[in-house]
Amino acid sequence: MATIPQARLRNFSIIAHVDHGKSTLADRLLELTHTIDARQMTSQVLDSMDLEREKGITIKARAVRLEYPAGDGLTYGLNLIDTPGHVDFSYEVSRSLQACEGALLVVDAAQGIEAQTLANVHLALAQDLVIVPVINKIDLPSAQPALVMEELENVLAIPREEVILVSAKEGTNVGAVLEAIVARIPPPKGDPDAPLRGLIFDSHYDAYKGVIAYVRLAEGSLRAHEHVRLMASGAQSEILELGVFRPQLVPVQRLGPGDVGYVATGLKSVRDCQVGDTLTSASGPASAPLPGYQPAKQLVFAGIYPMRGEDYGELRDALEKLHLNDASISFLPESSVALGFGFRCGFLGLLHMEIIQERLEREFALDLIASAPSVEYVVTLTNGRGEVHVDNPARLPAPGDIESIAEPWVRASVVTPSQYIGTLIELATGRRGTFGSMEYLDAQRVLLTFELPLAEIIVDFYDQLKSRSQGYASLDYESIGYRPGALVKLDVLVAGEPVDALSLIVHRDRAQADGRALVEKLKELIPRQMFEVPVQATVGSNVIARETIRAMRKNVLAKCYGGDITRKRKLLEKQKEGKQRMKRVGSVEIPQEAFLAVLRTGGAG
Amino acid sequence: MSAGPPVAFYVHVPFCLSICPYCDFAVVAGRAARRDAGRVAAFVAAVRTELDLRADGLDRAYPAGRPALQSVYLGGGTPSLLAPAEVAGLLDHVARRFGIAAAAEITLEVNPGRADRGDLRGFHAAGIDRLSLGVQSLHAGDLRALGRRHTPSDVVDAVSEARAAGFGSVNMDLLYDVPGQSLASWRSTLDAALALEPEHVSAYALSLDDPDAEGLTGPFGDHLPLRRGARAWRDRARGSQDQDRAAEQYEAASDRLAGAGLRRYELSNWARPEHESRHDLAYWHRDPVEALGPGAHAFDGDSVRRWNAAPLEPYLAALSPSDGRPAGLPPGGEERLDPDEARAEAAILGLRLPEGLDQALLVDPALEPGLRWGLATGLLVDSQGRLRLTPRGRLLGSELFMRLLPAPAADPGGQARRGTATLIAAEIMI
Repeated sequence: MATIPQARLRNFSIIAHVDHGKSTLADRLLELTHTIDARQMTSQVLDSMDLEREKGITIKARAVRLEYPAGDGLTYGLNLIDTPGHVDFSYEVSRSLQACEGALLVVDAAQGIEAQTLANVHLALAQDLVIVPVINKIDLPSAQPALVMEELENVLAIPREEVILVSAKEGTNVGAVLEAIVARIPPPKGDPDAPLRGLIFDSHYDAYKGVIAYVRLAEGSLRAHEHVRLMASGAQSEILELGVFRPQLVPVQRLGPGDVGYVATGLKSVRDCQVGDTLTSASGPASAPLPGYQPAKQLVFAGIYPMRGEDYGELRDALEKLHLNDASISFLPESSVALGFGFRCGFLGLLHMEIIQERLEREFALDLIASAPSVEYVVTLTNGRGEVHVDNPARLPAPGDIESIAEPWVRASVVTPSQYIGTLIELATGRRGTFGSMEYLDAQRVLLTFELPLAEIIVDFYDQLKSRSQGYASLDYESIGYRPGALVKLDVLVAGEPVDALSLIVHRDRAQADGRALVEKLKELIPRQMFEVPVQATVGSNVIARETIRAMRKNVLAKCYGGDITRKRKLLEKQKEGKQRMKRVGSVEIPQEAFLAVLRTGGAG
Repeated sequence: MSAGPPVAFYVHVPFCLSICPYCDFAVVAGRAARRDAGRVAAFVAAVRTELDLRADGLDRAYPAGRPALQSVYLGGGTPSLLAPAEVAGLLDHVARRFGIAAAAEITLEVNPGRADRGDLRGFHAAGIDRLSLGVQSLHAGDLRALGRRHTPSDVVDAVSEARAAGFGSVNMDLLYDVPGQSLASWRSTLDAALALEPEHVSAYALSLDDPDAEGLTGPFGDHLPLRRGARAWRDRARGSQDQDRAAEQYEAASDRLAGAGLRRYELSNWARPEHESRHDLAYWHRDPVEALGPGAHAFDGDSVRRWNAAPLEPYLAALSPSDGRPAGLPPGGEERLDPDEARAEAAILGLRLPEGLDQALLVDPALEPGLRWGLATGLLVDSQGRLRLTPRGRLLGSELFMRLLPAPAADPGGQARRGTATLIAAEIMI
C-alpha cells in the first residue's frame, strides 16, 4: 500500500442519529473509493457484529482507510472513524472524535436534528473539529431539506451554503461529500521527526497476535518490528505487525503523524494496553503522554446470574473475555439468596446492559438472569461513620444506620415536535424532574432540557418518551453530580420470603405506587402454584402493597390414548424442564420473566 | 411388562367431510374424502395391504402363533364414511390374519351428523358392536364454536338410529373448557347426554397444543402441519380457556355422571358396569396394540412405540406403488423407551385408573421421590396397599406425573431418539 504524505491525510468521523443513514453513507463512500468491491459489499459493512446489524445501531467504534483520487488529481488517504449513535455510548463517541480533525454531520431530511446529534456536534465543536454538514435521504417524499437547513442555521450556526444534500441510498451527490472532506477538513498536524506519540482509541484481543491496539499517531512515526512502550502501563513489546483498516486489517511498513491504524502488540492482557494510553518508542520515548480519555463511567448496575448455578465459572470466563473487547463494563462477584452466585456488573446505560447480556447469551451460549438495574447511591452513615457506595439495593444499610442518601442526577435534552411539549414535561416532572429550558429549533421543533434523577430514566423513560411522542422525540443526557433524596428500599416478599433480587430503591413518595405496580406485575408473571402465594411489597416492616396468586386448580392431561402417550409424555417432560428453569424462592417457583419484567417496569409506576 | 403379540387392533381412517380447528388427528377433507372421486377406496386397499405386511412380520416374530384379538377399533377421522361392505371386508381380513376372539369388542367411531354418520344398521350387520359418537356438546352454540357440522338434534337421531340398529354399547365424547361455554351450559350438555342413556361417556378438556412446535409434523411425523386458520382459531380459543372453570366443569361431570350410575374407570372416562372400553384399557394397561393407517401408533407391550407418518399420499404410495415395485411399509418412526421411562409411563397410566398403583412401588428409587411428593401434597392417598389419586390429584395430576418422569437433564436422548426414529423411517422408505 502506497504511503500518502501527511498533507494529504484526512481523519473524520460521522455524527448521525440512529436511522439517519450513517451506515448507508459509509457504505457508499467505501464503494465510491473502491475500498470494497461490489462482490464483497454487504450492507452496513462497518457494523460487523450481528447484533449491530440486527439492531441497526453501531456499538463499537470502527475505523477504515479510504483512498480517494480527488478532483485536483491527487490521491488522498481518508480515515473514517465510525462512531456509535446511542446515548449509552457517548463515551465511545468522544474517543473517536479525539482521533479526528473533522466530522460529517449527517441529518435525515425528513426527521431533522435529534438530541443525540446535537450533543455529539457539541462534543466535536469542543474539540475544534471542522463540521461538514450533510442532509441525507433527500429522495424521501417527506424530505424537507429547507427546513432542516433552517434548523442547522438556527441551532448550530451552520450556513446553508455549506450544507451538502445527498441521498446515500441512491448515491446522489456522495462525490461532493468526498470533495468536501478533502477541501474543508485540515490535514493532521504533527512533526514526523518528533518522538513517537500515538493515542490508543480502541483495542481488541486476537488469540494469535495478542492485543491489537487501534492507534492514531500524533507525532513521530512507527515502523514494523519497532520496540514500543505504553506510557501509562509501562508495558513494552516488539510490534508484530502494523497496518491500516480497509476495513479488514491490511499490514503496512510505516505509519506517520495523523495516520490511523492498528498495532499488533503481542501483549497478552488488555490491561497493559488500555484505551487512552499513549504509545511511544522504547528507544527514544516522548517526555509526556498525550492527554488521555476520561475512563468510562458506569451508570447502570445489575446482578447477572447464570440460570444454572454450575455455569458460574463459564459466566466469569465470558465476562473476562468480553471485558477484553469492551473495557466499559465492570464486574464483581456477588451472591443473592434468590439467584445464587453471579456478578454485579456496571454498564454505560440500559441499552449497553441489554447488549452485553445478549452477547453473553449468544457468543457464550449462557442462560442468564438479570436483577433489576440500579444506579450507584452514596449513603452517608450515622455518627460520622463516613460514606458507602451502594449499587445493589439489597445491600443498602439498615435504615437506622443511614444519615442520608444521595443519588446521581443528569441533565436531559429532549428534541421534540412542539405538540408533544406538554406530555413530555408531564413525563419528566412525573419522574421527579425539574424543567430547565425550552428553545425553538425551527417553527415546529423544540429543544427541552430537564434535570432528573438518573434512576428515573434508566428504566423505561426512553420508551415512554418515544410512545408519548409517537416516536418523534429524541433524548440525550449528561451527568450533573449527586443530590440528596428521600429514598427508601422497597422489598418484595413472595410467600413471606424476601426476594433480594427484586429489591428496589425508590423515592419515599413513590414507594406506594411502585410497590403496587410491582406486585401486580409479579402476580401476572408468577404462575399459579400448588398453594396460594401472597406477594407483598414492604418498606421496612410496613407492607405497602399485597396481591395473592391463587392456587392452581387444574393441570392434568385430558386424553391418553395410543398416539397420545408418547406425545403427552414429552409434553410433561417439557413442563418439567420449564419448572427446572425457574428459580425457587422458598417453595415458590419464579420464572425468569418475572425478574426481567421488573427490569422493564420496576420503579416506573 | 414384556413384549408380545397384539391383543388390540386399531385402524385410523383419515377422512372427514370437514376439518375441526381443534382436531389433532391425521385427517384429509374435501375432495379426497368424497366417496366417488376421492381416495377412500385407495385407502381401504392400502390399509389391507398394510394389514398383510404387519401380519407377515408378526408371523415371523411369533411362529408358534398368536392369541386372537380382544378388541378392534376403527377410529379417525370419520370411519363412518366407509361403506358397510368395506368395514365388513376389513374385519374379515383382520379375523383371517389376526383372529378376533368371540367376545371381542369391535368399535366404530361415528360422527352424529346426518351426512357422515353412515348406515348404522349396515355397520352392525358388518360386525361392529360398539359405537363411539363424536358428540362433543349438546349445546348448539358450543358446536358452532367448535366448527362442528352437526346439531344437538342430530345427536338425538343418531342415538335412536343406533338403538334401532341393535347397538347395546354407545359412547359419547364430550368436550369442556370450550370457548364461550359456561358451567351451566356444560351441566345442560351432561344432562342432555345422560337423557340419551349412553353406556359410556368420555369427557375431555379441550386441549389446544401445537404439533408443529412439538416437532411432530415432519415427513415422518405422526401429525399433519396445522393449517393457518386452525392455528388462528387455537390462538384465540386458548385466550378464553380458564382453569378455574375447567376444574368446576370436571367436578360437575364427576357428580352428574356418577349420579347417573356411570363409574369413573379412568380420569376422563365413565361407564356402566361391563361397558368399559376394553380397547382403551389395553392402552392404559400397556398391552401390545397393532395399529394401521396414517398417524396410527402401535406398541409392543414393553418398550417400543411405533407410528406411521401422518401424510396420506406417501402412505398410499408406499403400500400401492404405481410403478410396479412391490408394496412396502409406509414411512414412519419409532421410539424406544428406556426402563426408567417405561416404568414412569406405566405409573402415570396406572394412576389415571381408579385401582392406582401398588404401594410397593414406593421402593422404586426412580419413582419414590415423586410418589412421596404426591403423598405429602395430598395429590395421592395410600389406602389398602394402593396409591390412588385424591380428588385434588385428579385435577392436578400433571404436577405429579412430571415428577415421576426421569429428569430431562439425565435424559439427553430425547433428540437422539427422534433422530433414530427418522433413520429407521428412512430405511423403511428405501
